[in-house]
Amino acid sequence: MRSEQPNAPLWGQRRRGWRAGGAWALLPLAFLGLALFLPLWEVLRLGLQADGLWTAAPLRSVLGDPYIRRLLLFTVEQALLSTGLSLVLGFPLGWLLTRYRFPGHDALRAMTLVPFVLPPITVALGFVLFFGHAGYLNRFLQAAFGLAEPPIRVLYTLWGIVLAHAFYNAPVVARFVNVAWEAQDPTHVEAARVLGAGRLKAFFTVTLPALVPGALSACALVFLLCTLSFAIPLSLGGARYATIEVGVYNLARVDVDLARAAALALVVLAVSLALTCLYVRGGGLLRPVSSREREQPTVPLLDRKRPARLLWLVYLLPAALVFLGPIGAVIADSFLRPAPGGSSPTLHWYRIALSADTTPFLGTSPLGSILTSLGVALAAAGGALILGLAISAAVRRLRSRVLETLLMAPLGVSSVVLGLALLLAFRRPPLSFLPPGPWPLVVAHILIVYPFVVRAVGPLWESLDPRLVEAARTLGASRRLAFLTVELPLLRSGLLVAGARAFALSLGEMTATAMLARPGLNTIPLAIYQFLSSRRFGAASAMATVLMVTTALVAWAWERTGRGLLGRREKAFLASDSHRGGAEIAEPVERVASGFMPDDKAVRGLKAVADRLRRYREPIHSTTDVLRVSAVRKHRRNHA
Amino acid sequence: MLEVRRLTKRFGHVVAVEDFTLAVPEGEVLALLGPSGCGKTTVLRIVAGLERPDAGRVILAGRDATDWPPEKRGVGLVFQSYALFPHLSVGANVAYGLRFRRGDRKGRVRELLALVGLARYERRKPHQLSAGQQQRVALARALAPEPRVLLLDEPLSALDAALRKDLRAELRALLGKLGMTALYVTHDQEEALALADRVAVMREGRLEQVAPPEELYSRPKTPFVASFLGRANLWPGRVVSVDGDRAFVEVAGERIPAERGECREGDEVFLFFRPEWVEVGEGLFTAEVESAEYLGDRWELRARFCDLPLVLITGQDPRSSGTLPFAIPTARTIHQQ
Repeated sequence: MRSEQPNAPLWGQRRRGWRAGGAWALLPLAFLGLALFLPLWEVLRLGLQADGLWTAAPLRSVLGDPYIRRLLLFTVEQALLSTGLSLVLGFPLGWLLTRYRFPGHDALRAMTLVPFVLPPITVALGFVLFFGHAGYLNRFLQAAFGLAEPPIRVLYTLWGIVLAHAFYNAPVVARFVNVAWEAQDPTHVEAARVLGAGRLKAFFTVTLPALVPGALSACALVFLLCTLSFAIPLSLGGARYATIEVGVYNLARVDVDLARAAALALVVLAVSLALTCLYVRGGGLLRPVSSREREQPTVPLLDRKRPARLLWLVYLLPAALVFLGPIGAVIADSFLRPAPGGSSPTLHWYRIALSADTTPFLGTSPLGSILTSLGVALAAAGGALILGLAISAAVRRLRSRVLETLLMAPLGVSSVVLGLALLLAFRRPPLSFLPPGPWPLVVAHILIVYPFVVRAVGPLWESLDPRLVEAARTLGASRRLAFLTVELPLLRSGLLVAGARAFALSLGEMTATAMLARPGLNTIPLAIYQFLSSRRFGAASAMATVLMVTTALVAWAWERTGRGLLGRREKAFLASDSHRGGAEIAEPVERVASGFMPDDKAVRGLKAVADRLRRYREPIHSTTDVLRVSAVRKHRRNHA
Repeated sequence: MLEVRRLTKRFGHVVAVEDFTLAVPEGEVLALLGPSGCGKTTVLRIVAGLERPDAGRVILAGRDATDWPPEKRGVGLVFQSYALFPHLSVGANVAYGLRFRRGDRKGRVRELLALVGLARYERRKPHQLSAGQQQRVALARALAPEPRVLLLDEPLSALDAALRKDLRAELRALLGKLGMTALYVTHDQEEALALADRVAVMREGRLEQVAPPEELYSRPKTPFVASFLGRANLWPGRVVSVDGDRAFVEVAGERIPAERGECREGDEVFLFFRPEWVEVGEGLFTAEVESAEYLGDRWELRARFCDLPLVLITGQDPRSSGTLPFAIPTARTIHQQ
């Protein structure tokens, strides 16, 4: 009987849908109006007005500037190269993770998530320390081969940027490939083999074509990320190699030519909106569809009878060098770089990084930066939770595409543009009425991280059985009380996870932060950049290590709490057959918001979870299970 | 106790419930029976206040409750999927509806858990229970706030067959003991016949017939009811004469006597009779047997009589084909629609 109207909402919701949902939408819309749309309007005005008149002249002048043209060209060039290199480096990793089993497999798989956690500035620092002319790699090679000149010269060239981007994005490609591959039905290959195709032919005619959508999707995403990358080209590009994002920063913060910055920001905004739309739209089409009967078979990597598999070392060793070298270099450097007195290992750099004395080029004390960072991250996480919850509720009730696009708009706005917009907006009423403080930073960080909260909470909320609320209502709870006593407790783990993630992201955010920083208002990533650009590597390393450890701790804690809570609480009850129809609308946005990851486990575990759901009593163990459940539902709906 | 008047509910262009009127007196268990998609769950949800009808009224204990929110209606609802709160223990689930009232809540929770035979499970989480136990908790939770009316939405359909039968008997005994007014939605005719004081058969959003189980089975008012409950032979024919409470129906050139019911001479009717009402082995008519199915205690035959399909039941091994004499001592008429 449920078949007739499985999604029928409470009549109160239906009748007063717009009113009840509207209330939820009001807070986010008001906030976004003040904090995003009004500031963007300021950019638009500044970029398209001259002497109070609307004109395209500033835009034309910016686009006609040969320097800006070079920026644009270089941006596309490095993004294309980075995407290519990421594909080349990432594809084998995806292959390795799918086909082979070996000790540390799961750890390696988990490590592909590192780029989503690691602040880009630490990567940039790691590259300087590891690949620099006087870096660890060069020193090692010089010592080993007795060379007079450093053999590796990639820093402050195009290739340094490309390599750092590949470091960052190859794991993304690996993950996409891994997901697409595991979603394949192994019987297809078997069918090809039985029909006479050799191992290679089966790979090229069956496996590879099925991976193309996943790989393309990954490339689109990597291209987007590299185009809008900021910290890496800023730190590794030197004066010559700047991207448009860095260009906006230089115009606004170095040349202090806000009008030109605004005009260029409009170009960046157009690019980022276009690429995001392309990725969101195309990503859905390219999503691998799983119809497989069983898991992909795996073979052991270490097999005495198959020594050829050791050839993987040819890939793995250099890859490990590229991936682990920079991070290791940062940590090592923070202890090993000799203190002014010459002692090494030393804690001197940590003393500097944690000192409360004002450092001139930071404009504040290192400790002050750390405290600002923590405070801003805490405020941003709290704000993002409230905003994300309200938006999830509004989207859930209203099911309006336009509204959803509006509410998730920050996804399509590059962080530099966001920073510039807030920089402009905070100079004028109404935002200038705010009491002095780190408000611009907090607002920027909220805007950057709240989509991740929506992403974490939305699907969880969708997967709650609507009958739980109905049961509460028939037992005498009002709508509000049912939310407080049933929905909110069940969402708690999701909120915790989302809050921790928002916190970590805010800690590492540097792009909008760089635009908004002012003397006395500094954050950890910015301090690292300032230490780095004034060549105080030891202090930069110590600070970066502090940042990485904090981020990793938060990441670890969020995974643990999320799991624990879910394990104890949200069991198979999330798994009734009923669902609400909004997941499909939420999906593309979710995907972008998720830190650009498909629900790999969702795809992988479709069948297993479906089985468990059928048995009903099986508990659901983790966040990913919940995501799987929503994937199962989508799958069912698509095939209904 | 519960009354719905002329309910109509549409979802977009789909009419889920149309002009539906039904009354459940105090202490009665009424089963709402119908195939999937006939609108019975919608009726239940309207009664619970989870859907708002497009037209019609819901009367609870003599008061118009149509505009009351669910929490004010004082109805208990047992869901097909139980919808137990996963974050609360069994005891807390049962106590949930009690938090809005005064009195000895703990005692009440214990009392109810004892009633459903789960006294020792108060501290467990729902997921630690079997499906049957979860069902009982759902029942206890719905009963805890002493609802005026208990609504059950296919409460047994998620259980396996054996458990379903046990719980069915238990549920019947429990509802009887409590003297509960209940509306029980199901698509399982056996469940409806076994549990309910009266059964309402629904079809495509409309009420077909309300009657006690025996009457529904032996005197269905519509061909749909006749064929939805058990096996039925329905032969189209015309009433050629009426004699007291007998009617003679002309079917395939034969005049067959039947209980008259409400028909008049000249009416187009179905001649309706159950397979088990037919006397097989002797009689004026001859059936051509097409197939026979052995069901353990009986044989079910598919046969034809003058090109009309015929289902028969016999205790003896029939010839699997060929002809078989039979008589129809009992038959009724149902108006063609």
